[in-house]
Amino acid sequence: MTEKVRSKIDIHQPENLDSADVWAGFRQVQRIKLELTQRYQYSLGKVSRFFIELENRRFFATRCKSKGKVYAPPRPLCPSCLEITEWVELSGEGVLKTWSVLHFSPDSNEDVAALDTPYVLAYVLLDGADTLFPHLLKAKPESVHAGMRVRVAYADEPVHHPIHLMHFVPAADGRNG
Amino acid sequence: MRDCPVVAAVGSTSIAAEHRGSNLRDLMTEAVLACLADAGLRDLSAVEHGLTSYESDHFNLQMTMGAVLHDAIGLIPKPNLRVEGGGATGALALRAAWAHIQSGLCDSILVYGCEKNGRGVSSRTANQLFALSADADWEMMVGGNYTGFYAAMMRAHMAAYGTREEHFAHVAARNRRNARFNPIAQKPMDITIDDVMRSRPVAEPYKLFDCSLLSDGAACLLLASENWARRHCPAFRERPPVYFSATGCGSDTMRLGDRYPELTNFRAKQMAAAQAYAMADISDPAREIDVAELYDSYSGVEIQAVEDLGFVARGSGGASVAAGMFDLDGDLPANPSGGLLGRGAPVGATGILQAIEIARQLWRTADPRRQVAHARRGLTDTHAGIASISVVNIFERRD
Repeated sequence: MTEKVRSKIDIHQPENLDSADVWAGFRQVQRIKLELTQRYQYSLGKVSRFFIELENRRFFATRCKSKGKVYAPPRPLCPSCLEITEWVELSGEGVLKTWSVLHFSPDSNEDVAALDTPYVLAYVLLDGADTLFPHLLKAKPESVHAGMRVRVAYADEPVHHPIHLMHFVPAADGRNG
Repeated sequence: MRDCPVVAAVGSTSIAAEHRGSNLRDLMTEAVLACLADAGLRDLSAVEHGLTSYESDHFNLQMTMGAVLHDAIGLIPKPNLRVEGGGATGALALRAAWAHIQSGLCDSILVYGCEKNGRGVSSRTANQLFALSADADWEMMVGGNYTGFYAAMMRAHMAAYGTREEHFAHVAARNRRNARFNPIAQKPMDITIDDVMRSRPVAEPYKLFDCSLLSDGAACLLLASENWARRHCPAFRERPPVYFSATGCGSDTMRLGDRYPELTNFRAKQMAAAQAYAMADISDPAREIDVAELYDSYSGVEIQAVEDLGFVARGSGGASVAAGMFDLDGDLPANPSGGLLGRGAPVGATGILQAIEIARQLWRTADPRRQVAHARRGLTDTHAGIASISVVNIFERRD
């Protein structure tokens, strides 16, 4: 027989209803499939220059003009002083402060979905910055250690999300990226 | 200020990986009916206000869940407020309800929360959706997720203070064992530290059994002025009164890296605790709190929490946990319910479930195997993100 409801998964019909069950008349359960797919026109807003400069293989942060604190990732407004910040270029070298080795991918975008697991989520204090920058550290998990020097490597292949124009590599690795 | 509000009644569903036979409206209805039965009320006619505690619109393809659930449980045409604050949603909802009573806006407010996070979507989709509650412009887009953020914090805690994987495995095993004595718990397990240590890595140093659960469930708490409860709830008059005596809240940056050099502990939790302790006139929390429900989204988070709540000195959480200080027979039992690790964590209901457990402990109506003897004052600790919002609520029995 042809299924009249194309989204139907199943119908569960309890075999032995408990006569004391106050919900006895409501124990048939049907499940259906629902789907929601959206696309967004998402503005990267006032931090857009960070992503645009990654295409030029340059790494930018922002600095509070009042107290000099350097934000990487950039903030357009210093949350401590409420001063509008200014762009500063960093070398892209820094030191690893903490990290986790992830054995599954959250599938956040096409670039992340394509990652091989396990991979290293790293928090890096870039030279000249005052905050830690979170990104992938492409290195053997067992070789990763606190205090190791790392640097930004830039993608040669096209990426889906512009944050993947960069990642970290051990500073000792050759300059191929 | 008026006398602080009382817990007039409580109710919940069981917590499960999947309540296949009930959708969100059904679960909420079941918890509200349980709460009414607990109150000795026949209907909701005397209740003045509703407060919906619900987080994740994306999981159920329904927005405006405040209005939807308010209608489903029969509170129309009374006023409604929906509260959302990530993992802290339920505790924030109770805090908002506290202010409603204290301000005199109403004398009774039904705080009801629920979630279906279990099997409605694949765990991959669930992880993707929960990652959206992180900083979706940066940390999430590089491939980060909450397990990873918490794990990076715990690695820093281990490096700074010598905390060991066995210390947080103790929490994972103990809370799942506590859940054996909680009839609503999702994942009661008789497991050992070794079982946790041998479970597969998820985000190092966290392993499978260090991670809390995705859950379906609903919970409801009727908060009221004492006069209202005495007048309307027969059951209230038969139990020792439990007051919602203090509440505190703090916040912190969305991204862990923006907190540098603070990587090991939760500033927002320290602030929430300081506010709540000042309000409750508590100066030595480890001695003055008898039982605590702590936000063990990951096992190590309980270690960080006992430090940030001032139960032990910063850096000594791991050793204190491993020494049994927070076990059921310890000085300050934590998570007798099983916590997020053992009881489960239907987000909008989680903070309410924590408060329900504390109320039961103070009423001394918990299963004797998890009942904390002589408990007079209890605390709930609940947070959103990596404690980007943190809430501490305190309940006291006065008789």
